[in-house]
Amino acid sequence: MNQEGPPLESLLHRLAETPEDFLAEPSIGKTGRVHVAAVAADLSRLLGHSLSADELRAFEASGKNLQRDANFLRVVSILCWLLSDGWFRSARPTREQLSSVLVTSAHELSAQTPSLKFATDAERREEMARLALSRFGYRPLGETVAQAQDRLMTLNAAERARVLNAAKVAEERARAVREALAKKAAAESADKYSRE
Amino acid sequence: MTEQTDQDRFPTLSPGGAAMLKRLREHPFAPIFRNESGNRLRAADLLRVQEFERIVLADQSLPSHEPPTWLAEFVANCYRDVPYYRARGACPETFEQIAPVSRADLSRDIAPFVPDSAPLDRLINFRTSGTTGHPLLLASHPVVAANYLAFHKRALRRFGVELSANAGQVGVVLVGFQRKCFTYVSVTPSMGESGLAKINLHPNDWRAPGHRAAYLQDLAPEVLTGDPVSFAELLNLPLTLRPRALLSTSMTLLPGLRSRLQARFQCPVLDLYSMNEAGPIAVFDAAAGGHVALQTRLRIEILGQDLQPVQPGERGEITVTGGFNFCLPLLRYRTGDYASLRITGTDLVLDGLQGRPPVQFLTSAGEWLNNIELTHALQPLALSRFRVHQRKDAALELYLPSDTSASDANLALGALRGLFGASQTIDQLALAAEDKIVQYTSDLPA
Repeated sequence: MNQEGPPLESLLHRLAETPEDFLAEPSIGKTGRVHVAAVAADLSRLLGHSLSADELRAFEASGKNLQRDANFLRVVSILCWLLSDGWFRSARPTREQLSSVLVTSAHELSAQTPSLKFATDAERREEMARLALSRFGYRPLGETVAQAQDRLMTLNAAERARVLNAAKVAEERARAVREALAKKAAAESADKYSRE
Repeated sequence: MTEQTDQDRFPTLSPGGAAMLKRLREHPFAPIFRNESGNRLRAADLLRVQEFERIVLADQSLPSHEPPTWLAEFVANCYRDVPYYRARGACPETFEQIAPVSRADLSRDIAPFVPDSAPLDRLINFRTSGTTGHPLLLASHPVVAANYLAFHKRALRRFGVELSANAGQVGVVLVGFQRKCFTYVSVTPSMGESGLAKINLHPNDWRAPGHRAAYLQDLAPEVLTGDPVSFAELLNLPLTLRPRALLSTSMTLLPGLRSRLQARFQCPVLDLYSMNEAGPIAVFDAAAGGHVALQTRLRIEILGQDLQPVQPGERGEITVTGGFNFCLPLLRYRTGDYASLRITGTDLVLDGLQGRPPVQFLTSAGEWLNNIELTHALQPLALSRFRVHQRKDAALELYLPSDTSASDANLALGALRGLFGASQTIDQLALAAEDKIVQYTSDLPA
């Protein structure tokens, strides 16, 4: 998030105006009409990348839970609409960043929220826009890093869990360091040719 | 807790190395060694140490006031790998936007300064008392400790000395002169397991005071390292040994003492500017007119009171970034020492280095104490800062922060009376809320 991106409002506005085609039922088996893998492939090309057939398989239904699959695929579809904005095209995210948003972030978002809300609900629009920006290393224009991190953590459950988990891991590591330094072997130190 | 063995302390010890340890320990004039330590170097470590020394000694990169090429990656890595910096959020866009850290930050809790990538199973610690009132416990590694030698060799090379101690010889004796001192014997694997002894010249550590000279004389170490206080005591001993060099650290080595040491031991006497946080930073070279920087992967800046870099030649606080301790990478670390910086030819020179002046205190029994003894007595107490001054009438003034509890203040007074005698006059005063204090001062001529 160390780079300033576009004004948040422009992205929120874009999401609020998501065209019907991107909100339609994703194609799974014989139902639905949006081929999300094809939409993702188009977006990737637009952003300067070419996804392999293997990578595009991430945008096919797993078949284990059709309702969940449909929600995930529609989130991907909405993200594709968002990321085809001119600002993202000029930002040129890397292939890894793009994959992180379209696969990992889309799974996180769809696990928590019915997909249509990312177009119809103000807070969920903000959550999606901020998450996409942060995964590309940006924050909304005019915000400090701390403000942007704080707001994203408030809106996004996965981010909240990630921050809490990171804090827990950091505390465990700090405890392990203190214990290692307190051991007799550590206190015995090791040879230097001079003292300080 | 698992007891340490010689196998832990000397993983690659040969029969020759074992014989050296025995000689140092069991010499008829040996001191009472109070502690145990060792090089802790495994065979693979030794290869790393040798390679590091080769790189350091071959390094001929020229100094510059411009940021070095390694800096950007080093900073980015700190923000990725070191919890303290990672918690600050994103890496600032320019180096000057990175908030400096101070000794107080390290003193508060060293753990977040240890990178996630640092292996914990072989962590060692260095304790340091210092003069700024913030005792430190620093994370390090046996390889880091062994790598000091590369910079000592680089410093010695300036004075035409190439160390060559080998099997069967004593490479170095580290000399202290304190009431209490960490003492032990070891061998240096990168120098043929030549001997290393860390000794205390205080008579309490010897079975007879005359043994001190006899032991040193017989060991005939290639190098003696110590501080101005212990080297001054060396001058009181009837020594005729001829070390190749003396290395002084810890406190400012005044020119008068340097001349006397040079005359007595007929060898170069090096004044190293070195600290546990960063290792050997610079060595004084009269020909260069100041302390010449030794580490090319340690960025030295001089910061003004506003914590912004000053112009070359202006005085300010020495602030360092980088270093060779991979367990404690430093990012704009304010050392608490002051100098100005210039480049002359191939040298980066610290001019007018000031910090860590030695101060001696007189006890009611008429004995002189080094300021480090006061630090040792006071540092276990929960004092955030303190300052001790001795007046001309030998009374002490103990300055404590105004929020010090009565029980902590009483403990501090008790600790000082333990050192100075029960009848010692001590006035307790409030410490001014200033940024930096001169911790030890005295009106008595030492």
